[in-house]
Amino acid sequence: MNARAHSFLPPNCMNDASLLPPAKAQARLQLQRDLRAAAQRARHSWLLMLAGLGLIAIAVPLLANAFWMKSLISSLALSVAVAGLALLYGQLGLVSLCQHALLGAGGWVALRLSHGFGLPFELCLLAAGLCSCGIGMVAGLPALRLKGLYLALVTLMMAGAFQVLVSATGFPDGGDGWLGRVVGSERLMMARPALALSDEAYFRYVAFCLAAVLSLIEWHRRSRAGRSWALIRRGEAAATAAGVNILFYQTWAFGLAGFCAGVSGALLAGGVGQLDGRAFGAAESVMMLALTVVGGVYHWLGPIISGLLMRAVPSLLSDFNVNGFLADIFFGAALLHALITAPQGIAGQLMGALKALRQRLQALHETREARQA
Amino acid sequence: MSDYLPFLISGLGLGAVYALSGVGLVVLYRSSGVLNFAFGALGAIGAYVAWSVLDAELPQALAWAVALATSMGLSLAYGRLLAPRLAHRDPTIRSIATLGFALILMGFTEWFWGEQPRRLVLPTDADGLELGEVRLTYTRVLGLALALGMMAGIGLLLSKTRTGLKMRALANDRDLSALLGLRVLQVDTVAWVLSGAFAGVCGLLLANIVRLQATLLTFLVIPAFAAAMLGRLNSLPITVAAGIGIGVLEALAITLPGFAPFRTSVPFLVALAALPFFRNDARKA
Repeated sequence: MNARAHSFLPPNCMNDASLLPPAKAQARLQLQRDLRAAAQRARHSWLLMLAGLGLIAIAVPLLANAFWMKSLISSLALSVAVAGLALLYGQLGLVSLCQHALLGAGGWVALRLSHGFGLPFELCLLAAGLCSCGIGMVAGLPALRLKGLYLALVTLMMAGAFQVLVSATGFPDGGDGWLGRVVGSERLMMARPALALSDEAYFRYVAFCLAAVLSLIEWHRRSRAGRSWALIRRGEAAATAAGVNILFYQTWAFGLAGFCAGVSGALLAGGVGQLDGRAFGAAESVMMLALTVVGGVYHWLGPIISGLLMRAVPSLLSDFNVNGFLADIFFGAALLHALITAPQGIAGQLMGALKALRQRLQALHETREARQA
Repeated sequence: MSDYLPFLISGLGLGAVYALSGVGLVVLYRSSGVLNFAFGALGAIGAYVAWSVLDAELPQALAWAVALATSMGLSLAYGRLLAPRLAHRDPTIRSIATLGFALILMGFTEWFWGEQPRRLVLPTDADGLELGEVRLTYTRVLGLALALGMMAGIGLLLSKTRTGLKMRALANDRDLSALLGLRVLQVDTVAWVLSGAFAGVCGLLLANIVRLQATLLTFLVIPAFAAAMLGRLNSLPITVAAGIGIGVLEALAITLPGFAPFRTSVPFLVALAALPFFRNDARKA
């Protein structure tokens, strides 16, 4: 916030009154310069994201063992869903507590199509994304009438209803009939994409999907949709006055978040092979929101960190024989910390630390140069 | 009719707990603007403390007292130490923050007492009233009586006492009340303690009716959110009616052929069905 306020002040060299052009032209010039700088920063951040995920995709399969491979695949798959939730919370300020339920719905569709029709993985992935997108849009409809806390409660009710539904019916595992449940014989695993049958290749596949989804979100943020979301967040009266179609853009945001959840569900199903109905309680959706805020909602690094917190940190703890419930205590404290003092989450703090480090190095460099001169 | 009587009565027991939780949530929300997601976790830790007291073969009255004191104390601690740091944020953020508190409490309870589910057996379970063909244990009778008593008590407190007047003033307009010299923090303290007491009682009853497991109890409060939502987080009588109604409907749903595995979804379905009748509050600039 502060950084932005500063950048709108004229630079020092222009404080000399005799040199100043007419104030209006000056302000316009400054605005253009700031906008160009912001666009460049956004492009840099996007390229950095591509490079970072590329590096992870190459390096991790070389370093990790089979156990860690599985847990990191799940982490990255969950990051896709978190990216959608971070979009809703960060861009529109909306709290949705049914993201993990939407993920389950996407996983269900992907498993059913894969077992029932033997469709290629990519088609299942797309169908899962589109189904969850549709459900997400419907889930977002109450938000047109109810803001804030009520939306959180309504989505929590939906997550609760989904929990009851899925724990009673279970996920498809290769059987016949509409529900696709196996009775008696061996449960089938979901077929992985032909391109990525091994764990290592599948990890790269998931990293590619995550990069694609993050790019899709970033593209939305920079286009008309992102500007409309910013206005809606300011207040609906302001948005209406500016000619924003609130119904369309808000529903679009929910649909996009749902799409992320569905893709994530399909990726998770492909990684594990099957899904467990008991793992899709309302508690999971609540946990996902908490960790989304902890990870950070304004930067692409946030969803990746949240995904790691959700799957990799518990694996790490069990590696060290630490009770997994201590992680809950840590997550709770981290959520309170994020809400009270660090609204940008862990990602924001890391970026802040990097920036401070760079500035300190630069200052060091300058003093050394001055001493030499 | 007599076929439905057993379900009706067991539904009344569950509904009373929903109503009690709903009232505890609404009382706190009205006066401090926080919807307490940690309500279930507060009750769970109280119930575990009671289990430990009973395990040491101490009297039941002491177990109840210690459990309630734990819930109230923890609720008060959060309300005084952490909640004020978020006082200037909007209600959604303040409510989401209680999720953090819930995770801390839940993690601690599971870590300290272990995760194997147990049942909180109270000495009053042993005997009961015979109502026609239905047997009502004294714990259920005690729970129902306590629920009715606490709800009547909170109604009297709000309508007759000076503290109640202050709480209603805060519910009406927090900033204006503060401007008029009302001690906001003092009233908040009362609200957090009261809400903690409700959480403690609900936790004990649920641990007895369902089972004693922290994760389960923490999220068993979600149906109570449905009752609070139907009362629009504002009206106590509607919340009570909604809570009892939801409990009875949920129990009666067993008798519906084919619906039995899905019956726990009744609270959510009722809440979602009520949505279209909600006031449109999104048009504020």
